[in-house]
Amino acid sequence: MNFDFSLVTDSIPKMLVGVGLTFQLMFLSAIIGLVLAVVLLLMRLSGKWYLGWPAQVFIYVFRGTPILVQIFIIYYGLPQFEAVRDSIFWPILREPFGSAVLALSLNTGAYVSEILRGGVLGVDRGVLEAAKALGLSARQKFIYITAPIATRLAIPAYSNDFISLMKATSLASTITLMDMTGIARTIVAKTFAPYEIFISLAIIYMIFTFIIQKAFGRFERYMSKYVNP
Amino acid sequence: MDAVSGWWDDYFWGSVIVLQVFIFSLILMIIFGLLGAAAKLSNNFIANKIANGYTVVFRGTPEILVILLLYFGSAISITAIAQIFNPEIKFLDIPPVWAGTIAIGLIVGSYATETFRGAFQGVQPGSVEAARALGMSNLQTFIYIRTPEMWRLALPPFGNHMLSLIKDTALISIIGLNETLFVAKQAISTTGKPFTMYIVVGGIYLAFSSVITLSVMALERYGSRHMRDAR
Repeated sequence: MNFDFSLVTDSIPKMLVGVGLTFQLMFLSAIIGLVLAVVLLLMRLSGKWYLGWPAQVFIYVFRGTPILVQIFIIYYGLPQFEAVRDSIFWPILREPFGSAVLALSLNTGAYVSEILRGGVLGVDRGVLEAAKALGLSARQKFIYITAPIATRLAIPAYSNDFISLMKATSLASTITLMDMTGIARTIVAKTFAPYEIFISLAIIYMIFTFIIQKAFGRFERYMSKYVNP
Repeated sequence: MDAVSGWWDDYFWGSVIVLQVFIFSLILMIIFGLLGAAAKLSNNFIANKIANGYTVVFRGTPEILVILLLYFGSAISITAIAQIFNPEIKFLDIPPVWAGTIAIGLIVGSYATETFRGAFQGVQPGSVEAARALGMSNLQTFIYIRTPEMWRLALPPFGNHMLSLIKDTALISIIGLNETLFVAKQAISTTGKPFTMYIVVGGIYLAFSSVITLSVMALERYGSRHMRDAR
């Protein structure tokens, strides 16, 4: 068993074919998840129990179970019910891609909601009192004061979650999707050269992690431009 | 739920395996985390570089990839070594349960490295100076002052690492570990009830997560018991 470099150079272009699918999974789930997270956050901040409780249960369930189990429940599990197969959502749930995006979105939504809540709770009381003293309404206070500050505070944690999401897209390969990991697994099944293929793929993922970290670092600096150093 | 009735014992043994993997990977995670933190905080250039490489690699790669690499990689290495002695051997592997345990211990250990490093740095210099002034030795300071204080800081993220560990055990089913997810797959092939079977798995993991969360909360209260009056 030698480390075969020609195999590495052969397989990297093949695996990069799957990068499009990895990115689609990542960005679609990130956007849907973020919308969901904001909705969950507003439900919890509303102070109404019939909104707050369901949000909390949702977050608890999705943070307390493995993402792989969630993917399997949605992709393999839901078609057990005829009602699902007859519903208008069936064209989405029938496809592994739709199921993967749904599972990843619900999962990341639960995590991001907690991150955003941490940001909101981290907003300085004094600033909120100042806003009140200036006569801002509750809604104005939230839009002009709480939201921008909470966003800035939440960026470091959000960037970690975004990286987790990127890594979680690799689980889509377990429901037959041919993302980068899916392609790598088929190549390994054919060549039985796990070191060459999986290490190359790991390096590709690490590069993406690095880029995401740098991008969020820039965004954080941009959002902090009014903060005194 | 009738369909599940014949499978409870299989789910139970699956859960036992989840628990086993959790406990051993927890021990590994603490060892790797402490070693990593010690290396990062040391003044040794090489130790620093190795620890940095460790955290970059394992935090930047998908968990499933590490598990696959460790399992299949070790399998071909061991097979190749075994073939030197006995060319008859076709395939040898580390049992999936151990390959998986080591893999998730390594992965979560890289996160724990940062947690422990931050917590050790968060120990008040004043406390350490006070201990010195009282004539405590380095070892005494470490045991009675640094460790309890860093523990209080490290516990909340440490609880999250434990949750990651328990959830990552599900990934080991991919390399054929007969834990709950694997049981569910078998149950589905005979009963044809995928939703029911996977929901049971979800319930089991939720129960594990809840126990961990409650234990960490109790530990946190215990860890900060002398802080209560100060507040």
